[in-house]
Amino acid sequence: MHIAVLAKVVPDYLVPSMDFELSNNRAHERFSRMLGLYDENAIETAIQIKEKTSGSLTLISYGSENDIQFLRKGAAMGADQLILVKGTSDDAAVIAGNLMAALQSIDNVDLVLAGQQSADMDRGVVPGILAQMLGVPFIPQIGDVDHENGSWTVTQITAQGKRELEFSGPGVLSITSIPENVPRIPAVRAIFAAKKKPVIKLESTDQKKMALNELEVAIPKIECVCEFIDVEDPGQAVRILLNRLNEERYL
Amino acid sequence: MKTLIIENIDLKKIGELKTVSRYFCELPDIIALGEGDIPGNYGKAWQSSQTLPPNLVPSIVQLAKLENYEVILLSVSTLGTGLAGPLSAALSAPVVTEVTAIHSDMVIERPIYGGKAIIKQKIESTPVVLTIRRKYFEPEVLEGHTSSIPLNTESEKVQLISEKNEQTDGVPLEDAPVVVSGGRGIGNADNFSLLQTLADQLNGAVGASRGAVDEGWASPTRQIGQTGKIVAPSVYFAVGVSGASQHLAGIANSKCVVAINKDEEANIFNRARFGLVCDYQKIIPQLTQAIKENR
Repeated sequence: MHIAVLAKVVPDYLVPSMDFELSNNRAHERFSRMLGLYDENAIETAIQIKEKTSGSLTLISYGSENDIQFLRKGAAMGADQLILVKGTSDDAAVIAGNLMAALQSIDNVDLVLAGQQSADMDRGVVPGILAQMLGVPFIPQIGDVDHENGSWTVTQITAQGKRELEFSGPGVLSITSIPENVPRIPAVRAIFAAKKKPVIKLESTDQKKMALNELEVAIPKIECVCEFIDVEDPGQAVRILLNRLNEERYL
Repeated sequence: MKTLIIENIDLKKIGELKTVSRYFCELPDIIALGEGDIPGNYGKAWQSSQTLPPNLVPSIVQLAKLENYEVILLSVSTLGTGLAGPLSAALSAPVVTEVTAIHSDMVIERPIYGGKAIIKQKIESTPVVLTIRRKYFEPEVLEGHTSSIPLNTESEKVQLISEKNEQTDGVPLEDAPVVVSGGRGIGNADNFSLLQTLADQLNGAVGASRGAVDEGWASPTRQIGQTGKIVAPSVYFAVGVSGASQHLAGIANSKCVVAINKDEEANIFNRARFGLVCDYQKIIPQLTQAIKENR
């Protein structure tokens, strides 16, 4: 069983809105970088499958060589090798095309996992584009993944609840977070061992870009002034809050 | 521009997409999924009981090419997300997800970096696939029904084994006038009952941050935020919620945010209209009681 996980190194997504800054229409370079918000859930899910099936796990990313140090966290968690396609495009079709080239450079992959969406461009479309390019099903918002009798059984988290789905053969899944796939914290020994795991670097290939012209990136103004209510006397604080909510006709 | 809506039979979701379609055409066509009558008026309407995107893609691609659709509209949902990427690749169409505003000349806006920035892009060619973020466009009131032609879906790449929808009493979270939401600061699952009691008094619903869901204290269907539900209540009580930008993205259209948090530095206070810096357990029961007495 060979699982591939698509991961993206992104600017620190925990930076509060008030501290966020742009340079050249992207997050300022001063922000530290890290694996994407949901990518670690995808890696954790893949490791659990790998452990159950005695399989192997390849982590694939599109980005800069500087990203390798952050991708090694995935290797420390349990990925066996890293593949980096060196590129700088933000175009979803270009990224998907290059990820496909990376997938085709390795042995048969049984399943491709990705985080639900990247934590920078927030699109969530690259895995779906890739699936269509590969000619395999794409299913988003997946929690659990099981493999039995040659079929994949997956749990999709929906707005109303969940559904169990089944398919055979390879597919692309985007993973959402559930309590069962909270990312493990790698042991120190695993962090050191990760430094020795193979890293394959590929040059990016030309891909057709989407017909989208970026006009502007701006930080939205937050026009909200918080009125703090004294809580020394909780009963009084509650009365003041309710009065204010009624005065301003929110309630 | 020839426009196609693809959506499950759901008044609000279709209503929002119908509103968006006005930017592109007078009367869109629709592929409606699920059982029942198709609400509203359309140029042409197709219907299928199939709701799994991998099984729908081939038929939709065939239809989109045959009818020469220039704009395909989807909601941000498991259906929309499941279709957007594959349709984009199959139709060689640009795709823009999580659209929050549309301007003239095919210029659209969407949030990036968890809502910390907004990107404006011009669509330079059609067909284009758009997914529309919920609660950003007022749903059109859908009158009447449209009769449909069956959409043939022969592909069965993925099988539905079971579906389990959670029973929720009272008002749905997305439509609640008041939302009481708990984060990691709530401390455990049992304490969510305090929030439920307050929500019940206000004819509201209980939500949760991603952190609380990850802890297993609340169901994923309760998650509010960029990758959860988008809500726009009159009052949003954020209880023990730190206010990560991804969470704020889900409450951007709330009229009034009341933040209750022990940490006066918590980011949620930057979005709040009213703030109480304290242990929520000192406030929530009193607030519930006061509302009860005022009725």
